Amino acid sequence: MNAGLSEYLVLSGLLFALGFFGVLLRKNTLVIYMCLELMLVASTLALVAFSRFNGALDGHVFVFFILTVAAAEVAVGLAIIVALFRKRQTVMVDELNHLKN
Amino acid sequence: MSTASLQLIEAAGRNQWLAIAPELMLALIALMLLALELILPKEQRAFIPGIAIVSQVAVLIGLIINFNSPYINAGPTFNGLLLHTAGGQFLRAFFLLASILVCVLATVSLPRQRMPHVEFYHIILVVTAGMMLLAQANHFVMLFVALETVTVGLYILVSYYRDNPLTLEAGLKYLIMGALSSGILLFGITLLYGAAGASPDADGVLHTGFEYQTLTRFLASHPNNFLASAGIVLVLSGVAFKIGAFPFQIWVPDVYQGAPTPVTAFLAVSSKAVGFAVLIPLCLEVFRPYASLVVPVLSVMAGATILFGNLAALTQNNVKRLIALSGVAHAGYLLLGVIAAFQEPQAVGAVYFYLFAYLLASFAVFGVMTQLGGADDTKQELDQYAELARERPFLGAVLAIGLGSLAGIPPLAGFMGKLLIFVSAFKAGLYPLLLIAITGVVISIYYYFGWIKAAFFPAWRLPSAEGAPAPAPRAPVHRGLGLALGLLALGSVVLGFYQGELGRWLLGL
Repeated sequence: MNAGLSEYLVLSGLLFALGFFGVLLRKNTLVIYMCLELMLVASTLALVAFSRFNGALDGHVFVFFILTVAAAEVAVGLAIIVALFRKRQTVMVDELNHLKN
Repeated sequence: MSTASLQLIEAAGRNQWLAIAPELMLALIALMLLALELILPKEQRAFIPGIAIVSQVAVLIGLIINFNSPYINAGPTFNGLLLHTAGGQFLRAFFLLASILVCVLATVSLPRQRMPHVEFYHIILVVTAGMMLLAQANHFVMLFVALETVTVGLYILVSYYRDNPLTLEAGLKYLIMGALSSGILLFGITLLYGAAGASPDADGVLHTGFEYQTLTRFLASHPNNFLASAGIVLVLSGVAFKIGAFPFQIWVPDVYQGAPTPVTAFLAVSSKAVGFAVLIPLCLEVFRPYASLVVPVLSVMAGATILFGNLAALTQNNVKRLIALSGVAHAGYLLLGVIAAFQEPQAVGAVYFYLFAYLLASFAVFGVMTQLGGADDTKQELDQYAELARERPFLGAVLAIGLGSLAGIPPLAGFMGKLLIFVSAFKAGLYPLLLIAITGVVISIYYYFGWIKAAFFPAWRLPSAEGAPAPAPRAPVHRGLGLALGLLALGSVVLGFYQGELGRWLLGL
């Protein structure tokens, strides 16, 4: 059995939804961060599938840009999370709410 | 050599590097600052911020001299990645001016912290170059990469004062929200790309949905494509995060409060303008065939944004949160202008004029906030403004002009901005939204004047006979900042009375 475009799209949509609701519902910053990456991966999967079925290469090229951007984002993001952990000794979002007055 | 590589060489030869000379110069200056920090002896490093400001002023002057460059309306460059328009040219100058002002504010704010200085200016310059490219993007890959350059740079800037846990908390919130919005935007782009497919043109070159023009053609010929509709909604949501429009505004007050004040100004002015620089070409050209979907989405967003921003700002005591929420309301008025532009092309010029008036007024207010802020940048209460006008009349006057312009008091520039947008909305027949916007303006006068009142009239205080220390006298205004603030206030007044060439040019766009 061959996987068609719709199978890839369903998988990609599931990954995106998993990441999106993970960001909204999870409490651990690191898990939230993984969910954010999952959303980007969902897009790359869909891009590669579309690119393959459209017969154009630019979707593949875009994936490399996305990977690079995601790497930069992780480098900055983890640095912020580590710096915050040093000050507060926690990475749980419900304890990081001192900014309300 | 194969024909494919010959084609690549030919394509590379068509790149018009001169068209993006200002961005290239900014990148070079940014690198030069880092190199200077390595080379210069320690006692001369204090000149580096000055070098950053002066060289940016030089780039801005060069950009203004070359304002009518031959690349404008001469078709896309870089094989379709960039398209140079008169509006884009205006936004480039806008971002450069904002960047210069942020650097001026940073020269006051940074010395109060024990943080490295040069990297701050470096990142501001790189982010500004990204913003200037975004104003000319004509391709979704360009859009995404430039937007991420801006966003990742802003993550660092927001959490720059990393000694302060509140600043780091703001940085984390901005990081999660920013990354979430990028993820949503990216998925939207992917869906649009997939929906549009690929089609070869007469020369056999494949065109895909990443290119704005190809996507517009596809949308025009397929009016009810589900995949494309979902993609459009996701892209609009991603951009709405950046401009802080309802319901994507939750991060705004916290991040604005926690960020260093110069960065708050950067977020409030440049980052918001970036959202509109992206939104205007996308909505008015690319997504235009789907106006029946885009206009209702934007209308609901604009109305809710104006009401939420103004009502939430009423109860704030921290001035950074107050200006954050009032900034949300300003995003709503700007959205109203974008919606009006669907029927009234002049409204685009009104949006640009509003952005410029907003820049002048916001930086005047943020300048005063930076000057008055202490070592802890996140605690800026309304009470701190007591007796400001008596003690420092100059700061009081600048604050009053800036806030008056933000509130839209005639004859200041902010009033003209609001008037132009409301007139275009009236011509476009958007009466319900116009009613909401005017209600919002009336509400906003209350909290803006509360702030002015705090600065101008003696506040009632608890009898502080024993215990309560008398407030420390305020530091004199730094010379460079004073000059910038004076010019900004003057600009707000002059632009209110006389719009002249700028107004004529913008409304003729």
